[in-house]
Amino acid sequence: MLEQLLIFTRGGLILWTCKEIGNALKGSPIDTLIRSCLLEERSGEVSFNYGAYTLKWTFHNDLGLVFVAVYQKILQLLYVDDLLSIVKQSFSEMYDPKRMRYDDFDETFRQLRVEAEARAEEMKRTKQVAKPLNGVKKQGQVSKEETKKSNGEKKDDGDKVSVLSNGNHKMEDDVANGKENSADNNNNSVGVDVSKLAKLRSKGVRGRGGLRKADSLGSNKGSSKVVEPPKKATKKNRVWDDAAAAPKQEEEKLDFTDENGDNGHVDVVAAADQGESMMDKEEVFSSDSESEDDEPRSDEKPEAKKKGWFSSVFQSITGKANLERTDLEPALKALKERLMTKNVAEEIAEKLCESVEASLEGKKLASFTRISSTVQGAMEEALIRILTPRRSIDIMRDVHAAKEQRRPYVVVFVGVNGVGKSTNLAKVAYWLQQHKVSVMMAACDTFRSGAVEQLRTHARRLQIPIFEKGYEKDPAVVAKEAIQEATRNGSDVVLVDTAGRMQDNEPLMRALSKLINLNKPDLVLFVGEALVGNDAVDQLSKFNQKLSDLSTSGNTRLIDGILLTKFDTIDDKVGAALSMVYISGAPVMFVGCGQSYTDLKKLNVKAIVKTLLK
Amino acid sequence: MENLEDLKMMAEQWSNQGIEYLQKIPQDQLYAAVGVLLFTTVLLLLSIRLVRRTKSNTVLLSGLSGSGKTVLFYQLRDGSSHQGTVTSMEPNEGTFVLHSENAKKGKVKPVHLVDVPGHSRLRPKLEEFLPQAAAIVFVVDALEFLPNCRAASEYLYDILTNANVVKKKIPVLLCCNKTDKLTAHTKEFIRKQMEKEIEKLRASRSAVSTADIANDYTIGIEGEVFSFSHCCNKVTVAEASGLNGETVQVQDFIREYIKP
Repeated sequence: MLEQLLIFTRGGLILWTCKEIGNALKGSPIDTLIRSCLLEERSGEVSFNYGAYTLKWTFHNDLGLVFVAVYQKILQLLYVDDLLSIVKQSFSEMYDPKRMRYDDFDETFRQLRVEAEARAEEMKRTKQVAKPLNGVKKQGQVSKEETKKSNGEKKDDGDKVSVLSNGNHKMEDDVANGKENSADNNNNSVGVDVSKLAKLRSKGVRGRGGLRKADSLGSNKGSSKVVEPPKKATKKNRVWDDAAAAPKQEEEKLDFTDENGDNGHVDVVAAADQGESMMDKEEVFSSDSESEDDEPRSDEKPEAKKKGWFSSVFQSITGKANLERTDLEPALKALKERLMTKNVAEEIAEKLCESVEASLEGKKLASFTRISSTVQGAMEEALIRILTPRRSIDIMRDVHAAKEQRRPYVVVFVGVNGVGKSTNLAKVAYWLQQHKVSVMMAACDTFRSGAVEQLRTHARRLQIPIFEKGYEKDPAVVAKEAIQEATRNGSDVVLVDTAGRMQDNEPLMRALSKLINLNKPDLVLFVGEALVGNDAVDQLSKFNQKLSDLSTSGNTRLIDGILLTKFDTIDDKVGAALSMVYISGAPVMFVGCGQSYTDLKKLNVKAIVKTLLK
Repeated sequence: MENLEDLKMMAEQWSNQGIEYLQKIPQDQLYAAVGVLLFTTVLLLLSIRLVRRTKSNTVLLSGLSGSGKTVLFYQLRDGSSHQGTVTSMEPNEGTFVLHSENAKKGKVKPVHLVDVPGHSRLRPKLEEFLPQAAAIVFVVDALEFLPNCRAASEYLYDILTNANVVKKKIPVLLCCNKTDKLTAHTKEFIRKQMEKEIEKLRASRSAVSTADIANDYTIGIEGEVFSFSHCCNKVTVAEASGLNGETVQVQDFIREYIKP
């Protein structure tokens, strides 16, 4: 049964609630819906889950009204969408901006609800008649449909299926785009398919055979991943290709750490002082007005163009028409293409366009504006809203707060291989040092050869202490000891460097969440490179999922911030920032734009939005 | 009668003479003369408009999400908050005479009240309205004050250091809302806490280099603990209760700065 149905304005005033079913709702589902869904530009989604409730909504964009229906999650009410649309129609007829109370709508609503329920009953009866004729469906297909319905849920099945479809998507995209990292993507998607299929196999879906076959598939493509067999109790050396196991002698040769450190040659390096970090410099960007020359290019289809253009011009002058989905589609499609050429992940661009469509449908076109400019304006607003941080990103303030509590502020840098964690860690240390904050580095990358030496060199150049324990040690324990050391010698900030890891590598992700659970850092910073394409979505969502799945205490720590690296290499293809922020909800705290200590700056939201829509 | 006829004759003569004269002048000069005349009239009108600055009557209601701005807006406008509110996604604007002053006789100047959403993602909306503001009411939740103290003080700090606010010395009212509840804090307590938090913010943000890209100006006096009296624009504190309709202090503030 319906728990509640609300009608409110976009400005926040509740116009009408159903008084018949006056159940008080547990918690504040409406406010949560607005904050985590509608304002996050996810209004294109089907439904939203909060606690024991599911919420569905619809907009009346012309009058600025929102209609929300709340019902129990366990019930599958089919008539809700139908009910919402007819309620929207009948309410908009009697809506008057001056009126605040709509008690006479109660009667109308009761009738509409009875009608909608009756219609749903009818449909259910006809469906039940048709069902036995369908035959036995494949179990996999059934589970796919069911999980597709519950769209916003964080269940494992939904994620797996969506990942599968994501994998297919990616492979199609790579063929279409022919990006540089397509080979990588292909490998990743194959890896995803294989491991996910292995899990789905237990549910009775006909997969591609056993793990053995998956392994051979992986090695045939030259994939660099082999999931560690779970039966081995002892820690095996990480083998990076399927070649015959390395002979025993290799093991001793692997650890090259020199006990004395650099042949005992202590080089007094002058403290690195390269001037002001770019974090503190005023951002100067040319503000040339948007050229209207781009507009004709967006109307791509020549046949439909003539008629569409003429009628749109006519409508733009009179300005009385209501925007329909068919009107918005070409403009939105062009905008989506444009976003994708700027390296925004495909599914993010899709969701954004759906959200903008939901917010513009039914709105009256203002006079003397074309549809494309209205759509552009709405998209620009949506992008600014997404990229504006949800919480304050004032790190200095947090550091001072932690200092008052007499404990160090711990930052953990996580990310996949080769994105620039160690380099950017040094840049952040330089910036903090410039602001008279005492920093300490913790070398918890105990896997990659030379990682500890790299950090040691940075520490020497910046003249800050470093806590290291060499290689082949448990990173979680090293981090814990580093924090204790920092508390002892009064450092304000501890920067923890971790090893790069792929998002589907189960044991490595487990090790990472162990590190985070054990040490409870103040900031978990995901380091992502701006060159990444569609993989950004996968990386971030998997990282977040693993961190939440494998967290032990009640307080799940997810990714708190993003550090975007290699920004100087991408010119104007800045879409990775958007994909990452959208999928994780975490703000971009730093942007790395070069390879020296001063190349660290803050994200300039307006400049990025302008570049994305150019 | 004759006079009229004479006048008519004279008028006709003059007009004929005028037309002859005009026809004698070459066309280009005529157009140039007309152009220059129009240009100077337009310039004159514009300069008069600029000099005679109309006093703005816009009052902004700002504050964190959930502090009670929309309720306050509807109380000031209609005297009741109707059936409740949810998180605002868009600003509420209206130009009206305050509800309690409807009964007042005589000419009362309507107030342009704007309720800006407090959600952090909609923060850029405030920037749009600041240039036209004559006064700002910063609403703070007196009930849930301590958990949100930091966020509220950061928002207030951003407003107080905004270029528009500093240059035009826009007065700010720190309104403590929800004072009808038992466990609500007093306005003195809130004022002291905000001053302390802003002092900490001042320390952490001034420690940054000279090119402070986060804020346009710094506030307060060097070397002294921050207090609202250090601001060049006037900052006062008041209490209110949106749900009960006790908005007298807010209304007095508005009336003080939007003079009829």
